Amino acid sequence: MWVYIIRRVLYNIPVFLAIVLLVMVLLRNQDPVPGLLGKNATQQEYDSKRHELGLDRSLLVQYGALLTEIVTFNFDREMWTQSGMTVGEQLRSAIPTSLALTLPALALTTLISICIGMLSAFARGRWLDKTLVFFAVLGMSISFLVYIIFGQYFGSYQLGRLLGRPIFAIHGYEMGWQNWAYYLLLPVLISVIVAMGYDTRFYRAVMVEETQKDYITTARAKGASDRKIMFVHMLRNAMIPIITRIMITLPFLVTGSILLETFFGIPGMGNVLLTAILNNDFPVVEVFAAIFAGMFIVSIILTDVLYALFDPRVRLQ
Amino acid sequence: MSKTDALLTVRNLSVGFHTDRGDVTAIEDVSFEVRAGEILGIVGESGCGKSVTSRSIMRLLPKFNSFIVPQSEINFDGVDLTKVNEKTMRSIRGNRIAMIFQEPMTALNPVFTIGWQLDEALKYHTSFGKSQRRTRAVEILESVEIPNPEQRYDEFPHQLSGGMRQRVVIAMALCCDPELLIADEPTTALDVTIQAQILRLMDLLRRKTKTAVVLITHDLGVIAQICDRVIVMYAGQIVETADVYSLFKSPRHPYTKALLESIPQTGREHHQTRLPTIDGIVPSLFELPEGCRFQDRCAYKTQDCVDREPQLSSEVNGRKVRCFFPLCEP
Amino acid sequence: MISRPISSRLRRLLNTREMRKLRRDKGALCALLVIGCYLLIALAVMSNLISRQDCTQVIGSNGMPGFFLEESRERRFENARTSMLKPVLRALGHPDPKAALADVKLGRWRVAEKSLDELQQITDDAVALRLILNESENLDEEPQFEARLVEFERKTADLIKPLSGWDNFMQNAALLLGTDAQGRSIFFRGVYSIKVAIQIGVVTAIVSVLIGAVLGAAAGYWGGWVDSLIVWLYTTFSSIPNLVLLVVIAYAFTDSDAKDTLLPVYIAFCSTFWIGTCRVIRGETLKLKEQEYIQAAQTAGFGSWRILFRHVLPNTSHLMLINFSLLLIGAIKSEVILSFLGLGVKSQPSWGVMIRDAGNNGDVMTGFFWQIGTATAFMFVLVLAFNILSDALQDAFDPKHL
Repeated sequence: MWVYIIRRVLYNIPVFLAIVLLVMVLLRNQDPVPGLLGKNATQQEYDSKRHELGLDRSLLVQYGALLTEIVTFNFDREMWTQSGMTVGEQLRSAIPTSLALTLPALALTTLISICIGMLSAFARGRWLDKTLVFFAVLGMSISFLVYIIFGQYFGSYQLGRLLGRPIFAIHGYEMGWQNWAYYLLLPVLISVIVAMGYDTRFYRAVMVEETQKDYITTARAKGASDRKIMFVHMLRNAMIPIITRIMITLPFLVTGSILLETFFGIPGMGNVLLTAILNNDFPVVEVFAAIFAGMFIVSIILTDVLYALFDPRVRLQ
Repeated sequence: MSKTDALLTVRNLSVGFHTDRGDVTAIEDVSFEVRAGEILGIVGESGCGKSVTSRSIMRLLPKFNSFIVPQSEINFDGVDLTKVNEKTMRSIRGNRIAMIFQEPMTALNPVFTIGWQLDEALKYHTSFGKSQRRTRAVEILESVEIPNPEQRYDEFPHQLSGGMRQRVVIAMALCCDPELLIADEPTTALDVTIQAQILRLMDLLRRKTKTAVVLITHDLGVIAQICDRVIVMYAGQIVETADVYSLFKSPRHPYTKALLESIPQTGREHHQTRLPTIDGIVPSLFELPEGCRFQDRCAYKTQDCVDREPQLSSEVNGRKVRCFFPLCEP
Repeated sequence: MISRPISSRLRRLLNTREMRKLRRDKGALCALLVIGCYLLIALAVMSNLISRQDCTQVIGSNGMPGFFLEESRERRFENARTSMLKPVLRALGHPDPKAALADVKLGRWRVAEKSLDELQQITDDAVALRLILNESENLDEEPQFEARLVEFERKTADLIKPLSGWDNFMQNAALLLGTDAQGRSIFFRGVYSIKVAIQIGVVTAIVSVLIGAVLGAAAGYWGGWVDSLIVWLYTTFSSIPNLVLLVVIAYAFTDSDAKDTLLPVYIAFCSTFWIGTCRVIRGETLKLKEQEYIQAAQTAGFGSWRILFRHVLPNTSHLMLINFSLLLIGAIKSEVILSFLGLGVKSQPSWGVMIRDAGNNGDVMTGFFWQIGTATAFMFVLVLAFNILSDALQDAFDPKHL
């Protein structure tokens, strides 16, 4: 087992290296120094700043330095857009914020979509199924942005006016459990509604494939009720593709939803990252990319392990 | 109910499906009886309706696109199965009527152990406690001749061979002592030696427990081996009913005769002769001819056969034939 | 190869089992019809039926609602005041009034062909009325001003040269869905965006599918280091969140020469969209490799490239078609998001740009739904049609789809 894991890690190291290199190259396509010092600084000031930030070293050297940082978990470089705050500190405050948004969203979406998908697959071809699929397709055809804009408008602004007091914040964020519903519940709901279209169809397809398997007929012939068939037989078998899909989305939990965070002014990873990209804040983007790449590889390996856990056919290798 | 009354009486069973191209009748006017302890064979080509018949007895056809035509009657021990509700049907399935299927490789749920799956059937239909269920499960595994049943109880389906899996399926079907067992091509996917073993096993079990069996197959050899009576189906209808000896000795329907003739024979006198086949193909259910459905392939076709559809006629000794000119053998 | 006339080959193609199934699907046929309409509109726009100028010039006052809805008096006053009156006044004060007047245009409206004195008289009357109306705090609450308002509107209308036929039609069409915060026609911008969307969608989808298919087939067929390389490549690319990758690539172009064209968009999209197709085609190729006819071709000594292009890829064409329609949808939706962030389409109107304008100007908060509504509605219908079509395609060609 451990041999397997180590082998997978080694195999994915080139992927990790490539991701970090790719991000670095893309970033350095633009010179960030004029943006940091303003257009009116002298060439000398530019050069000294460049030296200060280490940008005059060759790409390989910078690459090596970054990798060393990552490997030693040294996140103490200062951010370029907010002096005084290190990358590490920024990440430490932004990651829990993002998770507070994405984790509940993932949990809710998965639960609801699996149930709807199962219902749909079971009632396949009948009006319930057709209606659900129709709404899923409808939901998928509207831009995410529109959901956010209208969500903000109706969900917080109009609802607040209707009820006399603001139930959901239009903008902004504060830490703390008691503030969660006020600031994050609306974005979570928007996130769920957007994802439901895709997820329901995916889970439905998985379930439909299971309904066509022979063991379902055997179970029926034994006298199993529909509910038992759905929740015991089908679900257990469908766990494999379901888990795979959830695992793949794991790294993205940390990214946060860039759009939601930008709109609602939530200082999570997505917001930080977007700002960093648009302001040429190299340390943030580089470290972030490295973290994300690492998580991605971890999730791939974790997927394989869980696969073995859920599918006895794989286990005895 | 006396000993000689039929356990299962099917009368005028007609089943149809809703398809893209309209409604189609898959089986029409099927009638037969099965008594306790006897094996009834249903034989026919692929697509003739044998599986549809067997599944409609258990009401296992998909609800959303199949329908049982109202005049049909499936009488099981005094109860009309076409009219009971789903809950009653569930208490009958696996309990009083059991079914085994063709593909042992995929019939079992791959993520649960053999024992768990046997346990499930027992949980639904008996009030046994946990250890009692386990005892019963091991017992039934033993009776289907699975070696090391205690060990196999905790194993997964993929750890067993095809023949073993089919034995497990039989065990699952019999664990609640059903009165009727429906076997839909149980040996088709197995190789010949295993096939013989499974058939022998089934025969043994039904003699012990007096279970009635409906055995569906396309292989006349299987029919000859263990069946008591036989139904021959073609294009959704029954074309001949007889006891097994009479059927093989003197088939009355041209289709039956042609089927028997097409069995490859061994022996010197059959060397160098061509294997007889039946010309033509089964008519599509969407384009059935007006008269007899077998007309295009029948060597004895007349104009009557084209104009009118023959009905199933009863004869002495329980034989039935659907033909205007049944073959008479001395 | 026996050559057959196109018509019979086409007939054979349309009669395969999958195509027949597709033809029976009424939803898919409707979707196809809608897509066809959109394509026609895009072609019409490309042949200058609605030019870029139509989309950028001011045709009325700001924030007018569509469908010629009855407006409040304050708005009517505002409309009348800022339409022809303002520019005509300015032109009359110009050293060369005649030339200046000839330059005045509001959409297709031009100054009426009257003498300078007549125009001066009309504007004087109008200005006088304007002064009176200006005294009221809120015209909506003072119905006694209604008659004056109507007079004012009539006076300012007198300044406009009467239009006929096509021009009149176009001018009214322009106001059909109202104007945005800069007075531009929402309807024209929305329709023009159809062309932008289809252009981006089609180009992106074709290029991505081709790249993905060739790489996928190569990876599946040759295996070995080619496969490892390509798999490594797409694992790398797919590990970065889609949006982040798009943003980073698009942003990398902000200072380059091509920054105002669609090239950054194309490059960003094609670099990220090829992955899905590659995976699918690679999987299919792996399956096809075991088929006998491939082995037969190999035994017959056909070269690898020939086998790839003549035998493998044609048999994956249904997957390529499905992916094409899915990627097209993805491109349209991604363009909206990128343009919204300021990184996508820059110098043309597009749905993303319209939604951004609506968002930035707080349209929704003030209850002005016309701009965002138009963009959303046009996009929704097209994306929905493609969704239905790709579902139908998948049902027909790849029943085990997800």
